[in-house]
Formats: sequence, structure tokens, C-alpha cells
Amino acid sequence: MEDLYILIGSAVAVAMMVAVAAWARIARPAPALDESSARAMLAEEFPDDAPGQLWIAADGCGVIARDGARALVLFRLGDSWVSRALSWDDAVKAPVRGGKVRLRLRDPAAPVAALAVSGVNPWPPESDNEAIAA
Amino acid sequence: MTLDPLVPPFDPVTWAIPVFVITILAEIVLGRLRKAKANYEARDTATSLLMGLGSTIAGGFTAAIVVGTTVWIWQNHRLFDIPMAAWWAWVAIFFLEDLTYYWFHRLSHERRFWWASHVNHHSSQHYNLATALRQTWTGGVNGSWLLWLPMAFLGFPPAMIAVQKGISLVYQYWIHTEAIHRMPRWFEAVFNTPSHHRVHHARNPRYLDANYAGILIIWDRMFGTYIPEDDKEPPRYGLVHNLGDFNILRVAFHEWIGIGKDLAGSRSIREVFGYLFGRPGWSPDGSRETSASLKAKWQAREAAKAPTAPEQIAAE
Repeated sequence: MEDLYILIGSAVAVAMMVAVAAWARIARPAPALDESSARAMLAEEFPDDAPGQLWIAADGCGVIARDGARALVLFRLGDSWVSRALSWDDAVKAPVRGGKVRLRLRDPAAPVAALAVSGVNPWPPESDNEAIAA
Repeated sequence: MTLDPLVPPFDPVTWAIPVFVITILAEIVLGRLRKAKANYEARDTATSLLMGLGSTIAGGFTAAIVVGTTVWIWQNHRLFDIPMAAWWAWVAIFFLEDLTYYWFHRLSHERRFWWASHVNHHSSQHYNLATALRQTWTGGVNGSWLLWLPMAFLGFPPAMIAVQKGISLVYQYWIHTEAIHRMPRWFEAVFNTPSHHRVHHARNPRYLDANYAGILIIWDRMFGTYIPEDDKEPPRYGLVHNLGDFNILRVAFHEWIGIGKDLAGSRSIREVFGYLFGRPGWSPDGSRETSASLKAKWQAREAAKAPTAPEQIAAE
């Protein structure tokens, strides 16, 4: 019975701590990506790659870069970022649903990356030269 | 004073719960007031704390076999009668338990089967006191608790072992913070500290697979796994391949699912063994990244960046 009380008390404490964390608003700043910031983050995440053209998500919360046959993907999670690489061919074939391109990453740790698409920057980019978002 | 060798006189972790709550709230408030370096993201915090809560529940399912085996070894096969009330026994178990923890922790990073349980603790991209509570749900089923049985075999009472394990866990709580930059030099030399443990939680290639200490950093210094924090390269926290969402089931089980998929595609006993007990990232053709390959690439990049001798002379 004592263990049950400790568990219930802990659950209440968890709820309180999460509420205070939300109230405090002390997450790291994660501004929308532009080409310069996207390239800086890609260089950190993929230091051995040489990303060419970039496609930046409509909300600035993600980027897809082409490096030869590879698509380098970076997307925001909370105030942090997640990166993966997949084949460019698979990336180009990724479906767009609900205003987002849904890239299958084939990884149980991050199965899908969903990046916002708009009319200004459709997916897939019509040509490599048009890959940079407006 | 008589101490029951089978029933711990107290559970350090249970006693510490109020301290956990108060200090997490304090770290958040100090971060909010800009009096301390602290970043909290609400969903990340919820994930960490729910993993901690789930860990206590999951631990309950395997406690009987862990405790039962320890008691059985101590009652039937112990080499010595180590008195629980003797001060030297506590000194001895402090060092022995901490050494055991070092190897448990190293195993948990360097072999995928145990990494699958431990990875969740490293899955937050934040480093704060809540991250300390992001604990495993599958630690009881991976058999790593067997590493503590030699202490019962030596003759340390099960209650002593339980208390010392709890003390180690509670000690490791406070080092999960960015609010403390460095402790005094003598302390940094002997004990595990926030600075040492930030390195351990970093995903920068230079910091991978380092600082496995529990309480004493001396083990890392002795066994060659110590890396100091370099203020010129702040740690970036999380996993080499970070998780794609805050789903706690994914946090708890993603590496096990990855192992299952790899085993399903295995074509030989060698591959089965490698996928289970190789280093995290091991693959038959070497196409995936391991800590060693990531470090090697980082070193090659650093060497390429370093000025060559004539350039150095010119600069001078």
C-alpha cells in the first residue's frame, strides 16, 4: 500500500513539474530556418557531406538537402533537431499529405519526417535549381 | 545496532524523491530567472519524468528474481561473513559497487544488447535534472544485474548492496545539470561531476564513449575512458541519431525493435552475434557508423583542418 501511495504521489509530482516547465518557457530558441542557418546545422549534422541545393520547409521547421544520391534531412522536434539521410530517389517519391511531405526514414527511432509544403515551395522541387525555398 | 542483512534499513531513492522534485522545480525557476543555465522543454521533461515513473513500475516486475537470486547466493554460497555494522565493510562496498557500476555502465554503452536498455537515458537532447530520471524500463530483463552478484558471493549482505546501489543512483542525480560549471579541482579529480557527466551525455564525436563513472571518476582515469570537458567545444546532448518524437514507447523500445529487425534479416550466426553483442552501430558490411568510426572521421577532419608545418612557420 505504501508503494502505491509513493507511486500516486510521484505521478502528481510529475504533472506539477511538467506544468512548471511549460510555464517557465525556458526552452532553447529554435527560430525558423533560413538558408544560412540550415547550412550551418547541416554542416554540424553531416560534416562529411557537401549539401548542394536546399529545400526548406514552408514553416522553417525542416530542410532537405541533396548531396549526390543522398537526401539529407533535418527537422525540428520541440526545441531540438533530428537528422537522417535517405536516398534522394526515395525522398523525391515521398508522398505529400495534409500539407506535409512524409519521408519514410526506415528507422524505428524516427520512422517518419513530416515537413511542411506550400505552393511556393512544392515537393519535390521541380528542378535542382529551384530547390531553395522562397 | 543490529541491521537486518536481508532488509535494507532505508531506500535512498525513495528518500530522495522529495529532493528530486524540489531541485527540479528550483532548477526550472532559476533558469526562468536567468540565475542558472537551464533549458527545459515541456514535452521533453514529460518524457523524462514518465520514463522515470515507468522505470519504477517496470523494476517491480523483475525485483523478485533479482532480490531472490542475490539472497540465495548470499545465504548459500558466500565466501565470507561480512558484518553490516562494520565501517570498513561500507568503505569496501563503496569502492566495489562503484567499480561494478563502471563496468556495467561501460558494457551498457559498448555492447548493443545492453545499450538497447540504456539508450533511453541518453535520448533527451536536454541535459537537466529531469534527464537524470529518464531511466530504463528494460534493465531488469537484460541480465545486467548479474554483475552485482559477486558482491553477495563475497559475503556482502543483500541489504548493504541494495543501499549502496541506491546511494550511487542518488549521487548520479545531481550531476545531470548545466547549472554547475565546475566543482573545485580536487573534487573534479576524484569524483564524477556535472562537467564529467556532460561529456558522457554528449553526441559530439570527440566525446563519445567516455566518462562511465558512477561516483568516482578515478575508474575512467584508470581504464583510459576519461575525457575532460573542453569549454571550446560545448557538448551537444542526445544520441548520434536522435529520436523523431516524444513517444515514450519509442524511447523505451526503439533499439530493441531495431535489434529485432536486424536479427530477422540476419544470414549467419556471425551476423546474429554481431547485431546482438557487437558495438552499437555494428553491421556486417561496416556500412553503419559506430562510435569508433565517428571518432576516426572526426580525427581525420581535425587533422585536415590543422595547419601544415610551413603554414605554422609562416604564422609564427
